[in-house]
Order: sequence, then C-alpha cells, then structure tokens
Amino acid sequence: MKEGEEKFGQIYFAVLGVVALAFGVAELIASAGEGFTWGILDSSGASDPMFLPWKAIILLAAGLFYLSSVNNFAEVHQLAKAVMASIMIWIVAGMAIWARIASSIPGEETWFNNLEGFLASYAPPYCPEMFLLLFSLVIVYYILKEE
Amino acid sequence: MPLSVDARWDLIDKISKQTVEFGARKHTLKDAIAELTVKPLTGIPVAIAVIYGFWSFFCDFAGTLFTDGFMVRLFDEHWLPWLQSVFPGGLKNPFYALMVDAGHIEGGVLVASDNCFEAFGVLTSGFFVVFGVVLWAVLAFYLMFAILEDAGYLPRLAVLVDTVLHKIGLHGYAIVPTFLSLGCNVPGVTATRPLETRKQRFMMMTLLAIFVPCGAQIGIMQDLVPEMMGWIFLTLAIGYLGFGFILNKIVPGKSPELIMDVPPYQMPTLRNIVRKLWIRTSRFLIVAVPFVLLGSIIVGLMYLTGAMDWLAAVLGPLLMGWFGVPSETVAPLIAGFLRKDLAVGILGGLMEQGIMTTFQVFTSVILLCIYFPCLATFALMLKEENGKEILGSLASLVAMVFVYGGLIHLVGIMLGVA
Repeated sequence: MKEGEEKFGQIYFAVLGVVALAFGVAELIASAGEGFTWGILDSSGASDPMFLPWKAIILLAAGLFYLSSVNNFAEVHQLAKAVMASIMIWIVAGMAIWARIASSIPGEETWFNNLEGFLASYAPPYCPEMFLLLFSLVIVYYILKEE
Repeated sequence: MPLSVDARWDLIDKISKQTVEFGARKHTLKDAIAELTVKPLTGIPVAIAVIYGFWSFFCDFAGTLFTDGFMVRLFDEHWLPWLQSVFPGGLKNPFYALMVDAGHIEGGVLVASDNCFEAFGVLTSGFFVVFGVVLWAVLAFYLMFAILEDAGYLPRLAVLVDTVLHKIGLHGYAIVPTFLSLGCNVPGVTATRPLETRKQRFMMMTLLAIFVPCGAQIGIMQDLVPEMMGWIFLTLAIGYLGFGFILNKIVPGKSPELIMDVPPYQMPTLRNIVRKLWIRTSRFLIVAVPFVLLGSIIVGLMYLTGAMDWLAAVLGPLLMGWFGVPSETVAPLIAGFLRKDLAVGILGGLMEQGIMTTFQVFTSVILLCIYFPCLATFALMLKEENGKEILGSLASLVAMVFVYGGLIHLVGIMLGVA
C-alpha cells in the first residue's frame, strides 16, 4: 500500500468510525425511548423495535473497529479490523434492504404489490446503516489492493 | 519389535525434518480476519452481527414475505372458505369438525372460524402450520445455516463460546448441535455423537430436548408473539446455562477436551447450498408432516369425545395453581407430544379467542418448549441413550418443568403481571 493511500485510509476510516459510533449511540438512545427522524435519516426504529438495540451495539462495535484500525493502517491485522467493521455494516444494512424487499413484494389487497406501492417501499427515510453502507464500500479498494 | 513412545517421537522428528519445510509465513488478510473472529474482544461483536443477520433474514423471509405476505391470505381467504363451502357436513358434524373447522362459541352460538389458527381442523390448522408457516421458517433457517457452515464461521463460533460452555461441562463444539437443533432437534441430537463421554452426550441431549426450540416452533412463535421473542430466548438461554451448570455438578463422568478442525474461510458454493437445503428441508418435512397431521387428529378426537374437557378439569388446578396458565393449555400440551409447532399453533387459536393474557401466553410458550421433546426427538433419544440415561433425562425434564415453570410464575406474580 502506498503512503498516500495509507494516509487517506487512516483519515477516511477515522471519520467513518466516528460517524458509525455516533449512529450507534443514536440508535441506542432510540431503543431506550423515542428516536428521531431528520430529513431522510430515520433513527426511530419504528419498523423493527425488537432488533434496534442489537443494531445499535453492532454499529457501536463497527465504529470502534474502524477507530482502532487507523493506527498503522497498512498493516494487515489493522486493515482486517476495518474490513470486519465494514462487513458488520454490510450485514446490518443488507438486512435493512432485505426487509424492504420482503415487504415490497406482497400487496395489501392483492397478491402482489402494484408498481406504485412497490416503489413507495423504497422511498426515504432511511436508517443510519444504509448511509454507512455506501461509505463503507471504500474498503473494497483496500481489500483488492491487499490481495 | 514395537517402538517405545520416545522412539516413535524421534522417528516423527526425523521424518518431519526431511519432509516439512519451515519458514516465516506472512499473514494474509483472510488469516487476520479469521483471528479477529475467534478473539473474544472482537469475536463477540462479530458473532452478534452474524446472529443478527441470521434472525433478521429469518423473520423477513419466513414471516414478512411468505407467511404474512402470501400464506395467511391463501389459507384464510381462499383455502378455509373453499373447504367450508365444499366439505360435506357443516358445523356440529364431527367429521367436518375434525377435518375442517371445529368452530367456536360466540354469544352462546357455535360459529364458523375465519382463520386457520382457530379452525383446529386437520386440513386447515394442520396444513397451515406445515405449509403456511413451518416450511418457510425451516427453509430460511437451513439456508442461513448452510451458508455459515460452508463459509467456515461455525467452527470459529465454537472456539469463541468454548470458555463459556466449559463452565457447564461442555465445550465449544456443543454450539453445533445447539444451532442445528434450532432448525430441528432430530439432527441436533444426532450431532451429539462426536462428543466423547456419555456424560457430555447425556447433558447435551437433555439440554437440547428441554431448552432449544426447533425452527418450526420458532416460526410459529414469531408469527404469534413477535414482541415476546427476545424474552422467550433470554428465558431459554438462562435455563440452558443454569440447568447445564447444575447437571455438570450432579452427573458423574468426565468432560474431556475435544480437538476441532477450524478450516479457512471460503466462499460457499451454490451447488452445495442447494443440495444441503434440499436434503435437510425434505427430511424435515418427511418427519414433520405425518406428526402434525396425526397431532391434529388426536387433538380433534379428544375435543370431540370430551376427553380434552376431562383432562382440562383434572389438570386445571395444577396448571392454574403452579404454572399460572388456564386449563385450556392442556390441548397444546398434549399436541406438543407430537409436534411443538402444532402445539404453539393451537395456543395461537386460544390467544385469538382471548382466553389467555399476554403473560400466560409467554409462560405457555416456555412450558411447551421445556416440558417434553417432540415424539421424533424422543424416539431418537431412546435410540441414542441407554435405559438409565433415558430415565435420567425424563427425571430432569419433570424436575425442570416444575422448578422453571413455577419460577416463571413466581417472577410474574412479583412483577404483578401473572
């Protein structure tokens, strides 16, 4: 890994770690009481209250993994922590997307949803992990570089 | 002439020096990730994420998409009304009541059911439990299980929980039969065979039979009481560890170490996943379907002949006094001998009729889990354990039902919910 890439990785994943940590805290607070919806960001956990505390713990852990990976980022064991954090975010975000897919297929009155209802299932607001998913994909570059 | 132990080791040394090349090996990213997943500090959050993904997929695949999305509509809006219109007899006809709809009393009048949970018929409740709920739950469970198994995560989970399970006389490998039992107790009991001592096998089988609900049962519980699932699993996990600890202290025998192969992580192949899914799901259906239908017939006949009312009257004081559940719980408890998923389904019918409070439903679900293994599991235990061990397992079951069931009732009273 080149020095510039390492430097970028350190800064990028430190910021992402802080954001993941903040989202984790927000979801933890949301699971204890009422969360918040801010624009297209939804941290109320209204759709899956049973899973919310677990999701919060996973995001917190992912944030800590990212932060602990930034020192000597190019070293393989350190990089592995950032990869693991990203995989944890992919699991949580993947399940949030899967939940939308599963609920978008059957219709309310008919067997299958109509196009309008189907598309409406994917409309905002989105949960924090779906935003993190996008930014966590940067790790793929480092994985390919390492291999 | 046979070699002494020292001479053997010398020979091994000589052979390995000539055949094995030693040198520094650079850790790859895969190795580093593999290490992270077995160290407790990093491995536990990863395990939480994996289990989260597992159950989240399970709930949305089986619950949201198939059961709630399609099957409830298919069975309640099409299958049940069609059977009610074409099946000869009608309400009050015993054969009709057994096969289609027993009906229920509303304002002193016997009325037809409007959903398959309440109908209690072989062709309605029986079919709905198997094909409307359980099939999709089992399919989702085994799909995720096969992916984790083939990716190489399960052995790492075993290493991770090794320390905790040693406290109850088992080792990390016990997580494999436990996880398998969450799909179906039958392969779970079979998977106890690699355990080395009779003590470990006895303990494992007893814990599986009492505290690990099968995928079918979980599927029905998820459909009926989704908001209670966390509490149900927590109660069962406390029982599993607590009772395991006690068993470890009182059962004689040793709990030796077991060396386990931890393979490298790898990408699961579609062919293997499909094959495993087919074998496990089809075997499950072969075992489950006859028992569910037989269970429906027995419960239906007991209702029709009045045997259920008699049993409810006899066992009612015990059920109400000790466990805090109504006498109507007798029916699901009897059905539970054959299939626990069917039993929870019957419980769902009682719930819909407003016979039970939320806490009573919770207690009944726990009682159904712990009071006896289903017939298929019990038959396998008879094969795997000797007479003394079977008696031991049964004695443990009885003791556990009364102690744990009573304890839950007591906690309910103290919290003011029972």
